[in-house]
Amino acid sequence: MNWNLFVTELVSGITHGSVYALIALGYSMVYGILKLLNFAHGDIYMVGSFIGFGIITVSGGATNLGMPVWLLLFVMLFCAMLGGGLLGVMIERFAYRRLRNAPRIAPLITALGVSFFLENAAQLVLGAQYRSYNSFSWKNPIALHGFTLPAQARISYAGVIVIVGTVVLVVGLTLFVQRTQLGKAMRATSFDREAASMMGIDVDHVIVATFFIGSALAGAAGVFNGIAYQQVWPYMGFTAGLYAFIAAVVGGIGSLPGAVLGGLTIGLAQSFSIGYISSTFSDAVVFGILIAVMIVRPSGLLGRAAVSKV
Amino acid sequence: MVRRFGLIAIAATAVVLAIVSAAAARPAAQAAATASCSKGVSIGMQAPITGPAGSIGSDQLHWALFYFTQWNKTHKLKIHLVQEDTQLDPSKASTTAQALASNHAVMGVIGPAGSDEVQAVAPIFRKAGLAFASGSATRVSLTSGAWKGYFFRDVPNDGVQGPTDADYMFANLGVTSGSSVMVVDDQESYSTGLADIVGQALSGKGVKVDRESVSQKATDFSSLIAKVTSSTKVVFLPFQIASEAQLFAQQLQAQGKTAIAFGSDGTFDATNFTVNGSYISFFAPDVTTIPADASIVNVFHKQFPGATSPFGAPNYVLAQMYATAITKACKDGKISRAEVRKDVLKVSLKSTILGGPMRLTANGDVAGAKFHIFKIENGKYVTVA
Repeated sequence: MNWNLFVTELVSGITHGSVYALIALGYSMVYGILKLLNFAHGDIYMVGSFIGFGIITVSGGATNLGMPVWLLLFVMLFCAMLGGGLLGVMIERFAYRRLRNAPRIAPLITALGVSFFLENAAQLVLGAQYRSYNSFSWKNPIALHGFTLPAQARISYAGVIVIVGTVVLVVGLTLFVQRTQLGKAMRATSFDREAASMMGIDVDHVIVATFFIGSALAGAAGVFNGIAYQQVWPYMGFTAGLYAFIAAVVGGIGSLPGAVLGGLTIGLAQSFSIGYISSTFSDAVVFGILIAVMIVRPSGLLGRAAVSKV
Repeated sequence: MVRRFGLIAIAATAVVLAIVSAAAARPAAQAAATASCSKGVSIGMQAPITGPAGSIGSDQLHWALFYFTQWNKTHKLKIHLVQEDTQLDPSKASTTAQALASNHAVMGVIGPAGSDEVQAVAPIFRKAGLAFASGSATRVSLTSGAWKGYFFRDVPNDGVQGPTDADYMFANLGVTSGSSVMVVDDQESYSTGLADIVGQALSGKGVKVDRESVSQKATDFSSLIAKVTSSTKVVFLPFQIASEAQLFAQQLQAQGKTAIAFGSDGTFDATNFTVNGSYISFFAPDVTTIPADASIVNVFHKQFPGATSPFGAPNYVLAQMYATAITKACKDGKISRAEVRKDVLKVSLKSTILGGPMRLTANGDVAGAKFHIFKIENGKYVTVA
């Protein structure tokens, strides 16, 4: 047994899965409340990634950073989460709000339209060329240096930041949803929107908050992706959004723990299939898992079956 | 019942009329056999201007546009560029090829960029009598004879690059019979074709080839890199995107692997692929480093600021070849697609911005093509072969 390969694939899978989990949380949150699949969510992740890149550029560029790396990370995350959140709120306000009572196909198509709009707008404004966070060349090269794990495997500081950051955000979100008034309102609204409204909950406010939080998590995922995997380009949101959507569905769309479990499952499936089967078949494995879960447990690993009164 | 028969009769009449109209329509090439040069000549351009390969396509467009912009400033005979965006998609390439073929003012085409696209558009352009040329489609079979007289390219094909790279690895990079090389393609036609050629060349020498594939959109290669062992001497990266090769090479080093990263001409980009100790093959030096090209490059960057890719400058040369052919064809004040096709294939340029002369073989390939090998040392590309 090649333990070095096993541990390396495990670390790679958890790191990648963490990014997917953060994006999947946004999908699940919005679906839980509005029963809307926000296909533009992956592009909010792309915008967050570009915001982080912008912060690097403004602070002097990768090889000439004008601030300590810890401060840079904090500023990037803060700005990307704020920017992503505000973008999510704007999208909800202008693209989805009027379609809340429309047939489900209408907001779905609108979401696809918003996705294409964001991708092409980004390409028009920012250009088509690939940008790089180049965290290998920072004064503290967090993607280059790291820790040595058992079996001589390695994890970079960037990978550790991604995993720890994801854990912090997920725990924060869980505490928010479980312990705060607004979190309680979100849970009530996702359970029954009409009843929540009758109970005096401002459903509009809850929906806006949901979009803000979900999109902020996507923005954070964008920055994490940049510091670990460097590349930023206008179409990066499509693929990541697709995998995150699969993760949300596998975990149980509408379930927050399910989104995290789904993200990690997809990340690990990708890395282990590349390591032990073939890189050519990693997508086939991921979609195979989706199909298998849908057949065996259609509501997802941690989702609950929806009961409708007839 | 009567109403139904009436509707059927109307539909049948419409179908008959459509068939008769189509039969009566003349092919575009016949409909516009000759055009006047007095109002200028149009050249079509197909490139992936938007979409995932937008960075390559927009650079290709910029170089062609730059040539014609400079040409029009100093020549009475004006040449206009008619742009079409293919998004590197053969089906879109076919649709836009139809548009160019139907445009009677278009006398020749630059593009498309990808080998699959070339195969998709070739029957359309052949039927329309249009010459078309690619500055980046390198599949060997494209000039095997099917499109002789119509298709040409000003970049050497994979049949030159692949064996050159394999021979260099075997002779100089510690690759021996029994050792292994990982060959990773990015799932695009340029990459898979070249990867296959190099893989076969190395296998023929007794080298164990680990053939892998990643999406062009992939950014995390750590899972794949974990499979690189101490007996893997080289990782061959025939990527279209230089920054992707940069990322792979950086992650290779970060995981402490000793295998050497070796990129193909798609990764030849001194701005985006700079990992020390890596190798790249290319058919010419970087135009931005050739002293004779400095003034041209400066003016280019004024018109189109930003980095340029290795697939950009060949389109400048294609534009130059077309301009030369159009000048000859327009001597009598008239021009036709057939004339442009005949003349462009005979163009011989003594020097180009690619650092050497440009002349085509009978099949439409570059005559005397060869590839150079560069090593990245202290961020600079040093010629080693």
